[in-house]
Amino acid sequence: MPDRKKKRNSHIIKAVLYGALTAALYAAVFTHADTVLAYCSRGAWFAALPIATVFVFSFVHGAFANYLWAALGIEATKKAVQPRVAERPAPRKRPRPRLHLNT
Amino acid sequence: MQDVAQQAVQFIDLNLTVVLFLFIVGFIGGLVSGFIGSGGAFVLTPGMMSLGVPGAVAVASNMCHKFPKAMVGAYKRWRYGQVDLKLGLVMAASASVGVLVGIKIQEAVLAAWGQSGSNLYVSVAFVVVLVVVGGYVFYDAWKIARGGGELPVNENSLAKRLQKINLPPMLNFETAGVRISMWFTIPVGFATGMLAATIAVGGFIGVPGMIYVLGASGLVASATELVIAFVMGFGGTVKWAINGMVDIRLTLIILAGSLLGVQLGAIGTTFVKEHMIKVVMGTIMLIVAVSRGLAIPKYLKELGLISLDEGLIAGLMTASFITMCIALAIGAIIILGSMWQAKRKEKYALKESYGQV
Repeated sequence: MPDRKKKRNSHIIKAVLYGALTAALYAAVFTHADTVLAYCSRGAWFAALPIATVFVFSFVHGAFANYLWAALGIEATKKAVQPRVAERPAPRKRPRPRLHLNT
Repeated sequence: MQDVAQQAVQFIDLNLTVVLFLFIVGFIGGLVSGFIGSGGAFVLTPGMMSLGVPGAVAVASNMCHKFPKAMVGAYKRWRYGQVDLKLGLVMAASASVGVLVGIKIQEAVLAAWGQSGSNLYVSVAFVVVLVVVGGYVFYDAWKIARGGGELPVNENSLAKRLQKINLPPMLNFETAGVRISMWFTIPVGFATGMLAATIAVGGFIGVPGMIYVLGASGLVASATELVIAFVMGFGGTVKWAINGMVDIRLTLIILAGSLLGVQLGAIGTTFVKEHMIKVVMGTIMLIVAVSRGLAIPKYLKELGLISLDEGLIAGLMTASFITMCIALAIGAIIILGSMWQAKRKEKYALKESYGQV
């Protein structure tokens, strides 16, 4: 039980940290929304800007979401999904050569 | 070309209604995507357009949120051992060709019959594909649910028969537990891409295709669909971003909701019985088919094929959009409800094992 509590506390701390970081990122973008939008919609090589932005947000906000659900006690059940082994066709038996007399 | 495109683009002013709508639909769409592998786009794009966002910007901004969401969902489900990366990449390769062909067909329809003809083609494709495929998925889920949720083993199924055909090159998909000829994966991937280019939700063909044609389980198919969505979404985003069509503010608001939703949906797959994925998918597909069916009279009228009162047309279009929102909401309710039930059962079993009941 103490282990479980410790783990939960760690999830709460990480959720708060990543939550603050996410909030800071959103604040940074939306306080300068016009400038950010102008650069992101320039097209051509500037296309890298919106793509890089969503990658950064998905890492930080994704981590926040992960720890948030874990801190709320919503985690995957222990039931592991085992990969099934693909069925290969059964090997064919080769007939063994046998000596016999032609009569 | 780029300048012309940019001159035509009008980015909307944000207000509370826009922000709330995008966040909530983003969350519910993410939840459904995390669970069945796709969803959300069919409400987001028309929803954004009804808020005043130009069509191209709505599609571009929606697609720009789709690929990071799919990436996070795929990673989460890969950690649960549900993603067959090889199957996802093989499918994505043929799906990319399907997208290109789908776009060509769209362009030909647009050139021949104009915008109304194109809208009619999209709506009819929606209704036909969703009724046929969604109906079968729902029927299969209902059969499994009636049998107590146990998956029946059918040696005569299409997938089993195709797997027995030894047509080189044979591909071995370990996580999916499938060994099948590459030639059977190509049409499934191609159809996924074609549908993605036509109705923007390729998963409605991709997931059932991987289940019934290739023989993957519902869990693996829905998780692998996220890999396909990532590859196609990334390619599409690059194309739209080069033309400067992405409204990053809208994308980030949708992403705020969908990254929370997609992870909850992914967690949900470990709680529920496998046939629930088919139940949710079949239900959403059938309701969306009704929604698109309600929009058909408008396009028939625009083409001069029928005559209807303007008020009735407006009413049908409103009903169509509301039905689409209902499809997403019902999907989310089934997912959350079955998660809650499974969690309650787990708690009860735990208490029982401690002898508290």
